[in-house]
Amino acid sequence: MLSYIARRLVIAVPTLILVSVFVFVLQKLLPGDPALVLAGEERDPEVLEFIREKYRLNDPVIYQYFHWMKAMLQGDLGISLRTQQPVATLIADKLPVTIQLAIMAMVIAFAIGIPAGILSAVHKGTAVDYIANFIALSGLSIPNFWLGIMLILLVSVQLGWLPASGYESPFTDPVKSLQTMIMPGFVLGTALAATLMRHTRSAMLGVMKADYIRTARAKGVLENAVIIKHAFRNALLPIVTLSALLFGELLAGAVLTEQIFTIPGFGKLIVDAVFTRDYAVVQGIVMCTAAGFILMNLIADVLYFLLNPRMRSSL
Amino acid sequence: MLNSAPAATAPVLDVRNLALRFKDTPANIVDGISFSVREGETLCIVGESGCGKSVTALALMGLLPRSVARVTSGTAMFGGSDLLTLPQRAMADIRGNTISMIFQEPMTSLNPSYRIGEQIGEVVLRHKRVTRAQARQRALEMLDRVRIPAAASRLDDYPHELSGGMRQRVMIAMALANDPALLIADEPTTALDVTIQAQIVDLIEELQKETGTALIMITHDLGVVAEIADRVSVMYAGHIVEEGPVEAIFDDPQHPYTIGLMSSVPSIGPRSGRLATIGGLVPTIDRMPSGCRFSPRCPFVQADCLKAHAPLSTFGPEHRAACYFAPLETVFAEAAS
Repeated sequence: MLSYIARRLVIAVPTLILVSVFVFVLQKLLPGDPALVLAGEERDPEVLEFIREKYRLNDPVIYQYFHWMKAMLQGDLGISLRTQQPVATLIADKLPVTIQLAIMAMVIAFAIGIPAGILSAVHKGTAVDYIANFIALSGLSIPNFWLGIMLILLVSVQLGWLPASGYESPFTDPVKSLQTMIMPGFVLGTALAATLMRHTRSAMLGVMKADYIRTARAKGVLENAVIIKHAFRNALLPIVTLSALLFGELLAGAVLTEQIFTIPGFGKLIVDAVFTRDYAVVQGIVMCTAAGFILMNLIADVLYFLLNPRMRSSL
Repeated sequence: MLNSAPAATAPVLDVRNLALRFKDTPANIVDGISFSVREGETLCIVGESGCGKSVTALALMGLLPRSVARVTSGTAMFGGSDLLTLPQRAMADIRGNTISMIFQEPMTSLNPSYRIGEQIGEVVLRHKRVTRAQARQRALEMLDRVRIPAAASRLDDYPHELSGGMRQRVMIAMALANDPALLIADEPTTALDVTIQAQIVDLIEELQKETGTALIMITHDLGVVAEIADRVSVMYAGHIVEEGPVEAIFDDPQHPYTIGLMSSVPSIGPRSGRLATIGGLVPTIDRMPSGCRFSPRCPFVQADCLKAHAPLSTFGPEHRAACYFAPLETVFAEAAS
């Protein structure tokens, strides 16, 4: 098992290098001069030259790349051109917020998507199935920003049950933190729940046809236990893989949702950085996201192994 | 032989006039069959694929989904109640407890996610008041009884670590774990290697002798029938065309289908020409012939055969066949005179 994880981590290295090259090159190809942005109103050529010198913008691209890589390997993601804070600090500030939001969204997605998927598979072709599918399709079709705004209008403005926006760390005030997270988590979670429901349904439909389900029934196992213990346990594999990938996507930022609920997360950081051509921040974020995604993939694979006895013994 | 016991012993299972129909089909897939099996007795239900053997077994177990097929008539008395009308919950209490079933596909019949010890223990935990440790102990005992070597070390194996024959042994262990009164085996050897087939048949036979369970063996393998059966019911296209003690069926078959079936078995010795086959195909459910369902393939077919299928008439102790012209010797005699 450990050797497998180690192997996967080694394979991840070339992937990350490739990502870094792409990010770097794409940034260089973008129109716009960061020195101009930094200088602001100032158009003094000497100031511009000073800025270019300071941030090594005059060096050959290759040199800039290796310089960036070298610093990154030492844990230094550079300094934000805009706020003058270290990029690592910015990310470390915002990432926990986004992780918290992602977990909230996943919990809501699981709570809705998996039971709905199981129910619609078990009651395939009945009203239950159609209703679940209708709701899932709605979840996929309703844009996040619209649902978010409607929720704010209804729950916060009309009913006054939850705060419309803002963020509170769960370590300072857990209750308030949860209150601010429920709506954005729900908005993100419903969209994922729809995907999760569809996958759960199809995985369950496949498994329910298996011979061992008939065996379980022939043993007198009651239907609920047949569905959960015998069928769902075997349908879990694709669901787990999908969930890990969905979680990775959530980490990459829920830009719109974070904007609507003014949550100071990763998504907002990305948008701000892109608009102000804050190269170092954009690069740092993309690298961080890529690493996160690779990590989630690895976790998905490890879970896959742990859940599948057949794979486990082949290690 | 166990079937020489007085016929007065009440049957463990008594099926009367069972008819089943698949959804949206014009004819019954199983059309009014009756059979019974006594304690310690082995009844073989023989017939070609698609004649309704497996559907019958699934219907008796209550495992035939209503969306697929329904019982259109009949009763199946077991322990004082009719299996065909019992509520689902009561049926679930019977399955795996007093009636067990083994299936054709050992490779896929075990749940890949659980250790075999757990899977055997589960059926004990479900029906008996035992602790987990006792269920595990019972699982170990059962693995021993189905002659799995080093049973203790196999208890924690996953199904994929076992061969097909081993997996079928596990299925048998599971089926017999609660000492059922009736065991239904649906072609338990068909998917196995020939050498393993013999072992599994022997094992089932031995375990049946030890436990005295009634056994319904569904098969199309006449070798298995010859070895294990006390009585045989020959099915053709949803009808029982002949039934009787195994000796009578093999030595003195009366129905033209049974005769054809017996002569299609190769025998050891000098080869005498081509192996006999029965011409034609089994009719499909949407093209069931009226009258005797074997009539399109029967060399002795007469006008009467097309009007209504013949009732079972008696030819010996417990030996009945459903043919107007049986015994066929009389037909030949008439033709000769």
